[in-house]
Amino acid sequence: MDIKKVLNEATKQIERCSSQQELQNVKVAYLGKKGKITELLKSLKDLSLEEKKSTGAKLNSLRTDIDDLFKNKFNGLKVKEINSKLRNEFLDISFPPPNSIPSKVHPISKTFDEVISIFGSMGYSVAEGPDIETDYFNFSALNIPENHPAREMQDTFYIDDTDKDNKPYVLRTHTSPVQIRTLLNEKPPVKVIAPGRTYRCDSDSTHSPMFHQVEGLFINENTNMGDLKGTLIEFCKKFFNVQNLKVRFRPSYFPFTEPSAEMDIAYEIVNNKIHLGTGDLWLEILGCGMVNPTVLENCNVDTKIYQGFAFGVGLDRITMLKYGLTDIRSFFSGNLNWIANNGFSIGDY
Amino acid sequence: MKFSYSWLCDHLETDKNATEIGDALTNLGLELESLTDYSSYSKFVVATIKDFHKHPNADRLNICIVDDGTKTYQVICGANNVKKGLKGIFAKDGMYIPGTQIYLKKGKIRGEISEGMLLSERELNLSDDHDGIIELSDNFENGTSAIDALKLNDPVFEIGITPNRGDCLGVRGVARDLSAKGIGKLKPLKYEKITKLDFESPISWNIENDNNSCEYVISRYFKDVKNTVSPEWLQKKLISLGLRPINALVDITNFITHDLGRPLHVFDADKVGKKLHMRLAKPSEKILALDNKEYTLDSNSTVIADNNNALAIAGIIGGESSGCTEDTKNVFLEVAIFEKDSVAKTGRTLGINSDARYRFERGLDKQMVIEGLNYASYLINKICGGFVSKNIDSGKLDTNERKIKYKFDYFEKVIGIKLEPKKQIKILKDLKFQINQSNEKECDLLVPSWRNDIENNIDVVEEVIRIYGYENITESIPSPSDDEIVKINNSLINKKFKAIKKLKKTLISNGVSEIITFSFHSTKAHEILSGDKSLKISNAISDDQSFMRNSMIFNHLETAEMNYKKGYKNIQIFEIGPIYNTSQSQENILSILMSSQENTNSIYKSEDFNFYSISNLVSRLISSLNFDAKQFNISRSTSNTFHPGQSAELNMGKKLIARYGKVHPLIIEEFPKLKNSYAIELFFENLPIDSISRINSTNILDSQFQFSEKDFSFVFEKEQNLFEVQRYVNGIDKNLIKNVEFFDLYESKDLGENSKSVTFRVTIQSKDKTLDEKDLEQIHNNILEKVSYKFKANIRT
Repeated sequence: MDIKKVLNEATKQIERCSSQQELQNVKVAYLGKKGKITELLKSLKDLSLEEKKSTGAKLNSLRTDIDDLFKNKFNGLKVKEINSKLRNEFLDISFPPPNSIPSKVHPISKTFDEVISIFGSMGYSVAEGPDIETDYFNFSALNIPENHPAREMQDTFYIDDTDKDNKPYVLRTHTSPVQIRTLLNEKPPVKVIAPGRTYRCDSDSTHSPMFHQVEGLFINENTNMGDLKGTLIEFCKKFFNVQNLKVRFRPSYFPFTEPSAEMDIAYEIVNNKIHLGTGDLWLEILGCGMVNPTVLENCNVDTKIYQGFAFGVGLDRITMLKYGLTDIRSFFSGNLNWIANNGFSIGDY
Repeated sequence: MKFSYSWLCDHLETDKNATEIGDALTNLGLELESLTDYSSYSKFVVATIKDFHKHPNADRLNICIVDDGTKTYQVICGANNVKKGLKGIFAKDGMYIPGTQIYLKKGKIRGEISEGMLLSERELNLSDDHDGIIELSDNFENGTSAIDALKLNDPVFEIGITPNRGDCLGVRGVARDLSAKGIGKLKPLKYEKITKLDFESPISWNIENDNNSCEYVISRYFKDVKNTVSPEWLQKKLISLGLRPINALVDITNFITHDLGRPLHVFDADKVGKKLHMRLAKPSEKILALDNKEYTLDSNSTVIADNNNALAIAGIIGGESSGCTEDTKNVFLEVAIFEKDSVAKTGRTLGINSDARYRFERGLDKQMVIEGLNYASYLINKICGGFVSKNIDSGKLDTNERKIKYKFDYFEKVIGIKLEPKKQIKILKDLKFQINQSNEKECDLLVPSWRNDIENNIDVVEEVIRIYGYENITESIPSPSDDEIVKINNSLINKKFKAIKKLKKTLISNGVSEIITFSFHSTKAHEILSGDKSLKISNAISDDQSFMRNSMIFNHLETAEMNYKKGYKNIQIFEIGPIYNTSQSQENILSILMSSQENTNSIYKSEDFNFYSISNLVSRLISSLNFDAKQFNISRSTSNTFHPGQSAELNMGKKLIARYGKVHPLIIEEFPKLKNSYAIELFFENLPIDSISRINSTNILDSQFQFSEKDFSFVFEKEQNLFEVQRYVNGIDKNLIKNVEFFDLYESKDLGENSKSVTFRVTIQSKDKTLDEKDLEQIHNNILEKVSYKFKANIRT
């Protein structure tokens, strides 16, 4: 028996196979119950012990070799078959995806979160109050009595319903009534901001009947106007992300603060764009002042002990300045194209 | 308020230029709004029309030969006042014309060359006059600059006066404030008091004073005056304010209103009775005012009247019938003190914004009554001649001097910087406070008569720092205290804003865009969504914004429709904001609108929204806040905003947590393009975001032992709440039942009309061992038995 011949023959037959089934048939012909190798192994029993040993070892080695040949061929055929199957599964990977509009957070919304975070780092917690206010909280308690000319500065929306003083409810014209609500609820020290919606009956490219403000209030035993200046400069530096910020505080008037101030920040036009922080032109950013003792007394705060400051910032305005937006009305237009172009995606937010 | 530099210099001796004064005004709290400066007009020059002839191709045009002193030019001109020898203002090729906002360009007009332009007042923005080109009266040399020729070297300031500074509503008051800041010296008022008052006024006063609206009135009668055109100086002053000169008598009162901030009124004495009354108007009494409008008064308004008619609305506007005209021979001058609230109220009710009202409602300097009377008498007499009567008055002028005991150290406490008493006193003296007594700690102040706004120590501090300068306040940043940080961490509202931020992040990563819409509803939306009647805005700008909204869904549908018209087919938007149940009940909620059109893309297939996909989003949003939607009670929503069969609400106790589903077809009728619209309203303020124990979901498989899954099918009654079933199954064996997942729902006639078949998979796993067949069978049987008993359900095989 020529083992080598058997191996050569098997190798040839295995190589000729082109399918797994064919290969399986060959495998059976060699290694099956009645296969050539099996038969040869069976014939060992007629040999002498010595021959058994030497031939047996050779036959076993032959079986292993043939088995390996089958395995290798089998793997080769499998890869070939899968590959030929995959060729039929090719998709048109260039089919363009549908145009979807990116979903974004509204710029005002981002400003809300930034303002809360910046003032939060300075120790201010958030307070709030309703949009539909009483005349008392929106005006009288803030030292704006009826017939006061300051009421004319603010075109007020009135509601067809009256409060317990028999005065019509108003849509709050500023976030300042939250000062009163907070002081009536909490004992000083008080350090809060109150962002929210505000309303005035006014509508053009710089005015919207609804807009946003953030109120700030800090009352304790010794808070002074220097603290007010420092706090607001710090806020603007952080919010506008400008370290060298030229600012100006100038006297103004609000019935609920005294002394009152307005804060301007410097700007210049560089390449047709507003550049904040430097230059000789001024932009009004906010109103502020030391809380008028009359207001504190209206809230039962002892003015012999307590004093402090308050401020109000137009959130739409600072958002417009920060991002170079020009028309406040577009904020409330709901135009998805505008939101997609001016809003913030999750990474930027 | 507007005034010119030269007018200011009538009252203020100063060497400062207009820009320096502008800065000082802003630093005083008299904010400079604009400074009109004509310095760029130096390029326009005086030129003479040497000759002209008709344009050959145009009837109304002339060809002028113009000499500007250096050269002659051919200029085509359409003005009707062209004449030989006329001196006008000339602009050359390339110059910018401010009135028309264009650059001149040399070119042909109807075939004839034109090398420049002779300007009208409107082209120089000096007035609206466009009747013809400017004709200079004086004989200026050709080439003289327009600034010199037109006397434009007088810059005009416009400043904003805050409501507390009524004292600066006259040029003199502004000058006074500037002088306190060290910007110059206040000049004394220059006029001669009339001493020859040699007859009694034939007209007298009676203050009825039913509501104390008139404190005092004083008058003089001017006999045999000649009302003329005002002298040039007076006309120019009024023109610089943008006022039109009318006649001398009227102009004088307007001038004093703006010069001294002291409104006064002149009656034509021959058009009024002999007895004048300050009285309340009769109900529905009518008056034709000087603005040519008829006003109907109510009995809260004070009028000046004779025995027959109302002649003027007190402190606001005069009447047409008693006004001075050029024929006026005899004049009755009225200088009064009206109560400011009364003037404000009447003015607001009638909607009249007059210069007089503006000043009265801000409070007048009472000492200016006599000064105003004398000054006006002097001017009337000087310009119109005639004779002046003795004074006739009524009421009592209460000068109510205000005294304040001022403590110097209050300044440091409020402002945060030290300022020596000596320096504070200096400032107060510059502001014309009288210092009656002072020591190192305090002083007695007498407030100037014109500063009605100063009543107490804080007012004085403001005055001192205003003059000392806000720029001198040293700034400091108070650092946050530990208490404050703790407070922020515990603040419910801060937590709410954190929750809002999480919701926003979840939504934008799910393809939903944030919008902000107005808090308003149109009348239509209000009716469709049955808003409360207490939400009506009395003075709405438009019908679109006439109510406060009780839902955001209508606004969002409008937004979706607008975007649909722009070509967006799938709209997914959200807003976090207020809705109003009544005028006294506001809730801040998250509202989402998902609106899809039929998806025609055969390659990129996306599922349309349906109730279950919306429900799934609700569940994800709630779990982003660490709550499990399935722990809430679910029921059909009764809101008329939603489809009754395809909407749900989640409640926690009595608190509504969420409401969601298909928008009610009746609402969609208004938005026919948005048929497939779903909305979610999340009432996040009702979630106990403060609770420390977060609700863990139960389906976490954290055991190392093998788990087993088993499907159960039951036939329930159709309205059986499956949230309850799920919670119940979960509770059958809390240790072993890890997850209960519903995955099939089947309804058919075979089951009976009132039944539904539901399949769920239960995952069973032990912490301690691999469960054997027997363990599992026991728990399976337990589930079958308990569920069928509890819910009267049939086991489906």
